[in-house]
Amino acid sequence: MNIKLELFGASKDFSKRSFIEFYLEEKSTIKELRVAIIKFIKINFNDNEGYKKIVNSSSFCSYKNEIVSDNYKISNDEKIGIIPPIGGG
Amino acid sequence: MLHTRIVDIKKEKIEIIKAEKFIASNKCGASIYFIGTVRNLNNNKQVIAMTYDSHDALVIKSFEEIYESSIKKFNFDNSVVFIEHIKGKIKIGDISVLIAVACKHRNQAFELSRFFIEEIKKKTPIWKKEHYKNGNSEWLEGNSIQKN
Repeated sequence: MNIKLELFGASKDFSKRSFIEFYLEEKSTIKELRVAIIKFIKINFNDNEGYKKIVNSSSFCSYKNEIVSDNYKISNDEKIGIIPPIGGG
Repeated sequence: MLHTRIVDIKKEKIEIIKAEKFIASNKCGASIYFIGTVRNLNNNKQVIAMTYDSHDALVIKSFEEIYESSIKKFNFDNSVVFIEHIKGKIKIGDISVLIAVACKHRNQAFELSRFFIEEIKKKTPIWKKEHYKNGNSEWLEGNSIQKN
């Protein structure tokens, strides 16, 4: 299934676009999406440790604008937001 | 009563006069304005500008949740809260966030104002990228948001 990952904050450095598309197995969870992003960084950014740290410390947001756990099952074509550590104000 | 908004700097800027109008109330005897601005030095680096990114829907939801939790925590009568946060690139001295509160008494207004900015720092999905005089820029490290 196809997943569109919306990029926010520091994760915007992962792509020139505001999102990255991933192909995952049906009924994949956030945990598997996280693994896929790490793999993407390994391939595209030479295993950049800073980028991997961002992914591992990020939360994820569903299409319903809710922060979801690693066990959250992603739907086909769902838009997921990556929410790196925050620091506004 | 609550007003919240993300202000896109490409279209407009945060204006204090709007907050003044919103929080004006004959039932309130104290008003506090918290104004966050971009400063020119951070960690010994000369900052020339700041880019703010946000997940707009989550930000508004977060502001509303903070407001609800403030009602539960303080239960102040007739309090009024105005929150606007900037999105986009702004320069030194520009306003990034404005929190205006009006309450019956001054201690309530101080307490509520402090509560909002501290909770926003911890819970609201907004990110900052500093731009330096030497041409470099970097996203600032922050706090992970946890699922409720």
